Amino acid sequence: MSERVSIAQARIDRAPEVLKAYGLGSCLAVSLYDPEAGIGSLGHMLLPCRPEKTPLGSESKYVDTGIYQMVDELVRAGANRERLVAKITGGANMFETVYQTLINSIGARNARSARVTLAELGIPLLGEEVGGNRGRTVEFDLASGNMMVYCAREVGQISI
Amino acid sequence: MTFRELNNVQLDTLKELSNIGMGHAATALSQMIGQTVNLRVPHITITEISQVPEYLGGAEKLIVGITLQILGDARGSIMLLFPQDSAHYLLCNLLGHQEKGLIMNEVNVSALKEVGNILASAYLSALGNLLDKTMIPSIPMLAYDMAGAVVDYVLINLSQSGDLAMIVETDFSGDSDQDFAVKGHFFLLPDPATLDIFLNVTGEPHE
Repeated sequence: MSERVSIAQARIDRAPEVLKAYGLGSCLAVSLYDPEAGIGSLGHMLLPCRPEKTPLGSESKYVDTGIYQMVDELVRAGANRERLVAKITGGANMFETVYQTLINSIGARNARSARVTLAELGIPLLGEEVGGNRGRTVEFDLASGNMMVYCAREVGQISI
Repeated sequence: MTFRELNNVQLDTLKELSNIGMGHAATALSQMIGQTVNLRVPHITITEISQVPEYLGGAEKLIVGITLQILGDARGSIMLLFPQDSAHYLLCNLLGHQEKGLIMNEVNVSALKEVGNILASAYLSALGNLLDKTMIPSIPMLAYDMAGAVVDYVLINLSQSGDLAMIVETDFSGDSDQDFAVKGHFFLLPDPATLDIFLNVTGEPHE
């Protein structure tokens, strides 16, 4: 069984479900997991920080507000806030160019925002597979808390 | 102005603009590969940003994406997507002998970027002449990866101004009488803030 998480979405589920996010570029996938309760959430975020002045669109579009929202929902669904652990993947820079400033590597900023937000919340970041210039597909196994990362152009898979 | 407020006349305007631009781009492509290039009538999709990868035929499909930003009076992005076999065919045609599979070395990447550059320039200069505006393509950028990963860069730009994306899409394909017909998608993703510039050509009030 697997459930798909599309852009600007976060999904909560329980073991033995598998949550999947396809084709991550500079987007970031964040997993939060309570190993004892076997409950977890996978978020697929687009932008690093929700602007304070003119917040546009859903909270789950942004890494910072998205993570807060995921934590709230997990606690409501019965997860223990103290037991939550996190993993992140994605945050690539797909179009490598000479003029980086125009992109200002949004992927790297997404990853940074996730680290900062998780530190604020005191949630340990157990692993990350971020950066580079490759697209990734992520499978988050709620039975084990493992995150499998598949890249299209490289053979093999990475488990974090 | 938001995408939701567009009426049918305005949508038709955008389609026609894209059709004219694409006509020029197709001529350029046809001259490059020595094959007739057919265009499909453009269609416009206004969709949730999260649905765009699905719309492109699945997030995991391997594609070659070339993207350029539109600079000048109007802002937005152009994205050209080629399936693997079409990119390979283009390279065979432009550079001569190729390995069997699609190999992304420096020369091939550069050649494909140049294709993107020529098509986008033809498209934008036709549009610019029509609208009497200056539109300059940026340096092309290329990625060869999963469709979802390739397009999310453009989506990020768009998502900073809303949850919706407007895609003006034109499919083109080579002559099917040949052994192989090159296929591709051409997307115009106008920045909502400068959408007015594209629409002003009709003289329709649209406040």
